[in-house]
Amino acid sequence: MNLIAQTLADGLVLGGIYALAAVGFSLIFGVLHVINLSHGILVLMGAYLALIFSEALHIDPLLCIPPVMAVLFCVGYAYQRFLIQHAVDRASVNSMLLTFGVALMLQNAMIWVFSPDMKSITPSYAFTSLKLGPVNLDAVRLSALAASLILLSCLAALLRFSPLGRVIRATAQQTMAARLCGVNVRHVYALTFAVSAAFAGAAGIVIGIILPFSPNDEGGWTLNAFVVVVLGGVGSPAGALIGGLLLGMVSTLTAQYVGPAFPNVTMFLLLVLLLLVRPNGLLGNAFAPSR
Amino acid sequence: MKRRDVLAAGLGAVALTAPAVRSSRAQTKTLTIGGSVPLTGAAAETGLNVNNGYITAATYINDVLGGVEIAGDKYKIQLKLFDDASDPARATTLIQRQLDEGTDFFLGSFGSNIVLPTVAITERAKKPMVQTGGGSDAIFTRGFKYSFGMFPRATRQFAAASALFKTLNPGPSTYSVVYNNDAFSKTAAEGVRQSCDAAGFKRLDSFELPAKVTDVSSVLASVRANMPDMLLCVVHDQDSLLIARQMVATNTNVKLLYQGLGPQLASYREALGKYSESILCSTYWDEGVPYKDKFFGDAKKFTEYYRSKFTRPIAYHVAGAAACIETYVMAMQAAKSLKPDAVRDALAAADFETFYARIKFTPDGDGDPLTLGGMIGQVQKGKLETVFPEAAKTAPPVYPAQTWDKKA
Amino acid sequence: MKLNQTQVFLLVAAAVVVLAAGPLFLPPFYVRVGQLMLYSAGLGLAWAILGGFAGYTSFGHAAFIGVGAFTAGLVEAKLSSLPTVLLLPVGLLAGAACCAILAALIAYPILRLRGTFFAIAMLGVSHVCAEVTNNVDFFQGSMGLNFPPIAPPSMDPANFFYEIYLVAALFILLVSWQIRRSRFGAGLLSIREDEDTARMLGVPTERYKRLAFVVSAVLTGVTGVIYAHSLGYITTDSVYRDDTNLSLIVYSLLGGMGTLFGPVIGAFLLVFITQVILGRLLDFHLFATGLLLVILVLSAPGGIAGLLKRKRAAP
Repeated sequence: MNLIAQTLADGLVLGGIYALAAVGFSLIFGVLHVINLSHGILVLMGAYLALIFSEALHIDPLLCIPPVMAVLFCVGYAYQRFLIQHAVDRASVNSMLLTFGVALMLQNAMIWVFSPDMKSITPSYAFTSLKLGPVNLDAVRLSALAASLILLSCLAALLRFSPLGRVIRATAQQTMAARLCGVNVRHVYALTFAVSAAFAGAAGIVIGIILPFSPNDEGGWTLNAFVVVVLGGVGSPAGALIGGLLLGMVSTLTAQYVGPAFPNVTMFLLLVLLLLVRPNGLLGNAFAPSR
Repeated sequence: MKRRDVLAAGLGAVALTAPAVRSSRAQTKTLTIGGSVPLTGAAAETGLNVNNGYITAATYINDVLGGVEIAGDKYKIQLKLFDDASDPARATTLIQRQLDEGTDFFLGSFGSNIVLPTVAITERAKKPMVQTGGGSDAIFTRGFKYSFGMFPRATRQFAAASALFKTLNPGPSTYSVVYNNDAFSKTAAEGVRQSCDAAGFKRLDSFELPAKVTDVSSVLASVRANMPDMLLCVVHDQDSLLIARQMVATNTNVKLLYQGLGPQLASYREALGKYSESILCSTYWDEGVPYKDKFFGDAKKFTEYYRSKFTRPIAYHVAGAAACIETYVMAMQAAKSLKPDAVRDALAAADFETFYARIKFTPDGDGDPLTLGGMIGQVQKGKLETVFPEAAKTAPPVYPAQTWDKKA
Repeated sequence: MKLNQTQVFLLVAAAVVVLAAGPLFLPPFYVRVGQLMLYSAGLGLAWAILGGFAGYTSFGHAAFIGVGAFTAGLVEAKLSSLPTVLLLPVGLLAGAACCAILAALIAYPILRLRGTFFAIAMLGVSHVCAEVTNNVDFFQGSMGLNFPPIAPPSMDPANFFYEIYLVAALFILLVSWQIRRSRFGAGLLSIREDEDTARMLGVPTERYKRLAFVVSAVLTGVTGVIYAHSLGYITTDSVYRDDTNLSLIVYSLLGGMGTLFGPVIGAFLLVFITQVILGRLLDFHLFATGLLLVILVLSAPGGIAGLLKRKRAAP
């Protein structure tokens, strides 16, 4: 009884983190219809930046979230406006290749600057744990989960209530009509990408405090984002949360009851199955009607 | 492409005529050694250490010693290394290019899945390869005659650890093993099982992790349910750190925690802080070993020279890599020749003392388990001390380890 | 300069003869580069039957390389008593059969997806195959599979495999050509242009898609079997590679998506650049490859063929 409660709790915590790591990707896919293969590298950028800031300023890594998000916001805006926009006008395949090329370049650059060694961010509470009933929870993972949930709610609130959010949703739902209403679509796309990159960076910080990371991890996080989006739905933080939680729980349950080497098989099987049954994810596409 | 060839030819012509232009001095010839290292991709972290080791040895020999004398001529070492990106296809293609260009001697890459295909090619061309990067049994059971590795094969690498465990008093009696699902880790785990079972310890569980690990809570839950005296992890260093951190956070205490790859790295000890106390690991070298060396003098001087050239913290792969070059030179000096076959014979008969260890190879080409087998290190008061074997010991082993909350 | 069919024929024949004679006068490094070029060309052509002609860009064809390679390896290990000369044909048959079965099984559900979803689904399939191979001990994906040496003792294995790759690439080119000039091929092209309209007009789109999928899978698998033999020892990571998945798309993009020779040109060019030119760069090549991709996408989205068309169109 204890074991299953522990496994589910671990899955929830992991899932929340997966959700944050995927929400940026989901937004870009929903609004710009672009598959951003450099998502993983943006996540890692967040982690490395947090490492630098927290060591230089001697602050808790979670407090680095605002500056890191600000930096990645600007980077994301420029990246979309001046690079991806040009490729997006043609086929969707082109944006995949372009973002993949940029990911390769940035990965190599990271190896030069930071070396390929694994790095980790160790906050002061890294080794404490909390006991909630029969369940043991790692303090770092718990705070990572809390940060993820807060950030996801902020994004949801941004999309739902703020003017920027309204414009993004309008552009995603009816691009032509938005243009006719005077929306500068290119600017909105760039802003969306900027928001997405900022959240990817925040996810990087959250990941950086729980896992050791190195430039080679970037592919894994992009792939993770794919799966979460397919599972939960495109374009909404709620979809990312559902997808992330599902993924997290499936991972821990498989690891505990089938074998520790099997979570990945189940993850990809789920991906394929769900694509066949409901390609737009459990919550569907937030911006378009799901067939 | 054409222009580059012309340029190369032109430089070659100039190089050929240059000695004629110089006055009659003893000519310094060049000894070219080729090979690949993973500077990008999955194996890059250790690949960089291996590369730095090669460079340290070559630079020292060229700049400080002014070259080495082989069969009456003085030679400077020229390293021709390329990045194989942890990709066996790239490694094999570019090794072939070096063979075409006439390279006779090769250094190895890092990672058995890269070393194995490349050594198959150099073997066919009958050129020696000395490597400090591939320990998988598969490399040493194919009957290669030109392949020499600094590590004993994976299944023999655990001999030192189980020997240490037997000396502990009051001794542990049970163990569980954790490993990754890849060629090296699996054979290493096999080695763990064989030596520990032979030494009389009872195995409780065997946990297989995927190649990329994000969470070991399920494994640790099972460990807590069936608690062994010793938890032996033969996983990658990133995973070792993750396991240790999660063990602390979930209060999973074992009397002995062994992590094959991890505690040797400064970044690991820094990340764990006081919690890294008493964790054991395999180490093949540290700057305190007492071996003497005719190039650097001893291990301390090697470390000093390394630190004068690189800011990256030193690791035993750096020393092993430098030792590969020293081994080549000493073999060539023993053979009094630069012919690949003669050098190969000298390598097979090697019994050289270097600052790294005493270099000896088994008839299959892997490192002799007694002289090149690992030592066991233990983190004590933040430093890595060697606790086994007796000859290289710098501190007595601590067993059983304190619980995590006492260590804080 | 539009060439008529006989001229193209003669050109290809001449190229084949020159390529076949390659090992006689090329240094072994270039023979190996040639191997990679022909291997990539074969894969690119096989991929393009589904991706170029029908417009279903698969992001996971490495699945078939892996399935073919591991099936062949496991079957050959069981039948090790056979004479060496039969091992490769047996492996090819086994690999082809397994890929055909796998493709036929997943064709119906997976081809209902379009565009990006199909691409991601194939990526998922590729990873599922990779993970199963790695984690189920029967497949020996993590420990690695050994392949017996099959080259005749009188011949350098590098040359032997070069010629085999040449034959394979030629075969796939012929199949591709035959498809293109047949009714089936016309159907595939119509699917790429507008699938629903094609269906309305009576083109049996479902059947054609499935056939293209299976043919593409089998040809990819066969090439994978040869690749495994040429390496001699494979693990999961040797064949189920994401960079291969991506390269297959790049070959067609570079050479011209949907054209007959496009994948060949793209493959030759990319292999040449990454192995020969970038081979000398120590730790720079990831960056350079990425930069190349970026420049390619921004300046020549139609590939080389697209550039040529633009040149011809502009007066």
